[in-house]
Amino acid sequence: MTDVSFDVVVVGAGRAGVAAAYKLADEGFEVALVERAKQPGMKNVTGGVLYGSILDDLVPEFPEEAPLERHVVEHNIKLLHGDAEVSIGYRDLELREEPNYTLMLGKFDRWFVDRAVDQGVTFLSETAVRDVTQEESRAVVHTDREDGDIACDVVIGADGVNTTVGRKTGIQRTMRNEDMALSVKKVIDVGRETIDQRFNLDSDEGAAYIYTGFPEGAPTIGYFIYTFDEYISVGAVGGLETLRWLGDEGYGETGTPLYSLLEDFMELDTVRPYVQGDAVEEYQGILVPEHSYDTLPDRQDRRVALVGDAAGLVLNKGYTFRGLDYGIKSGLVAAEAAVKCAEDGDWDAFGRRYDTSLEDSYVLQDMKQHRHLPKFLKNERMYDAYPGIATETLRGMYSAETDASGLTWRQAYRAFRRSDAGFLDLLKDGYRGLRSL
Amino acid sequence: MSVQDDLETVEWDVSEDAHITVDNEQCITCEDKPCLHLCPAECFDYQEDQEGGIYFAYEPCVECGACMVFCANDPDKGAVSWSKAEGGKGVEFDFG
Ligand SMILES: Cc1cc2nc3c(=O)[nH]c(=O)nc-3n(C[C@H](O)[C@H](O)[C@H](O)COP(=O)(O)OP(=O)(O)OC[C@H]3O[C@@H](n4cnc5c(N)ncnc54)[C@H](O)[C@@H]3O)c2cc1C
Ligand code: SF4
Ligand code: SF4
Repeated sequence: MTDVSFDVVVVGAGRAGVAAAYKLADEGFEVALVERAKQPGMKNVTGGVLYGSILDDLVPEFPEEAPLERHVVEHNIKLLHGDAEVSIGYRDLELREEPNYTLMLGKFDRWFVDRAVDQGVTFLSETAVRDVTQEESRAVVHTDREDGDIACDVVIGADGVNTTVGRKTGIQRTMRNEDMALSVKKVIDVGRETIDQRFNLDSDEGAAYIYTGFPEGAPTIGYFIYTFDEYISVGAVGGLETLRWLGDEGYGETGTPLYSLLEDFMELDTVRPYVQGDAVEEYQGILVPEHSYDTLPDRQDRRVALVGDAAGLVLNKGYTFRGLDYGIKSGLVAAEAAVKCAEDGDWDAFGRRYDTSLEDSYVLQDMKQHRHLPKFLKNERMYDAYPGIATETLRGMYSAETDASGLTWRQAYRAFRRSDAGFLDLLKDGYRGLRSL
Repeated sequence: MSVQDDLETVEWDVSEDAHITVDNEQCITCEDKPCLHLCPAECFDYQEDQEGGIYFAYEPCVECGACMVFCANDPDKGAVSWSKAEGGKGVEFDFG
């Protein structure tokens, strides 16, 4: 028998777990928040932008007192093709009204856990959860502390992409290369003023850059640059299955290390001016779930619910990453399910109730609406033929060398004819693109 | 810059117990050895004199989880036994 018991144990103090614990403490529950790191955030990696006002209602000090970095007022999508780059930049004063900020998890997660502790959450750091078991009328969380078992009514598994809770309980199916992307990232000390100048920003304004098309024709590989107060982050993301086979640098003469791609990307003429800087402050690597709505893994069993990355709740939209806010929302939905179970005493219904409410929440509605997008983004033409067509068209429009007789649409048509893409492909991809956006 | 230079920026509180181990016998039949290019911290090194050619060091692991997916979870490979570092140990990021 274990002596220690709580109403709810939340495993993992990322934003998904902290939001759940915060909300439950607010509702008067006895909550333990178990985290393996010495300090919140020490194990955590993200790109950078928290979208939406998901924390406004929960935390009165948000956003005023939260350690947010820059208010994102500009988004850029860049298609690379050989020496050329075609970009779509979007800057809008109205974006100032949108609550989208860059943040760094080292600072942010520490702040958020402090607020949760103020709320009455019991925070246990330096404690790794090894397993979770369910008994007739309770669940037990097994930790690596001596006598470290904790009994509770229900467990919220918020332990990130490589979830211990999901794997040990068998809730989550075995993840394969096709399910996961790898990301590596560097944080570079550039200095506030240089960032303002380089990215054409005012003091607290931020910009986000997303790149595809390098190396030419490599599906699922993308890059990002985000701006913070004093730092920028630059990173690469690529599907494990693509990275395994792409190129010939691996032992079996297949494959390319993602850090080499990132190095090469940072050396591109069009990229170097943004990312040069002497001091790399940190290098990081992490997996990112790459599911579509239709391939999401299971996320609940009776008294155990998985939230955030542990449930695979991340969507790569091609032009943004959503995961930070999805995680927080799913944590809140799990907390609400626990509140309902406390009301009628039917704790066994916890997982099911969570699942049903999550299905109705904007997280799964969003993923459902974009259910074809992950497949669309695996289409090689997106990384090769189409950036090529765009580049050739623009080259025709701006080059003094090309004969100026053709109308722009004619040049576009010629570029298209020269590419490998067929007319039917274009129609199909256009249709799929529209459908998935 | 090489990834080894980048890894100089990372800090660890290294545990005495390895959180990941490699059963080299499984590496003998693994032809493409994707660990050598997919691990972002170069924890896997090709060394001729090792069984299956693989020398593994858990110390510089950044705990990304990739080798669990591409090796431990692959029925044709499976040399890797993967778990998370013990509480308070392993990689320590400053920024996130
Ligand atoms: C490169 C990159 C760029 C991204 N960019 C964006 C972006 O711009 N916008 C966006 O919205 N999303 C983005 N995402 C996605 C987003 O970062 C994640 O979806 C989000 O961080 C998930 O939060 P979480 O709370 O579920 O998990 P995490 O933040 O991973 O937290 C999990 C916590 O659980 C702890 N833990 C794990 N195992 C155990 C255990 N066994 N015992 C105890 N504790 C444990 C961990 O230490 C950690 O604190 C990006 C992701 C990556 C990798
Ligand atoms: S991938 Fe796994 S089985 Fe193959 S060589 Fe590497 S460690 Fe061994
Ligand atoms: S978890 Fe990631 S960093 Fe650690 S050994 Fe495996 S692949 Fe390398």
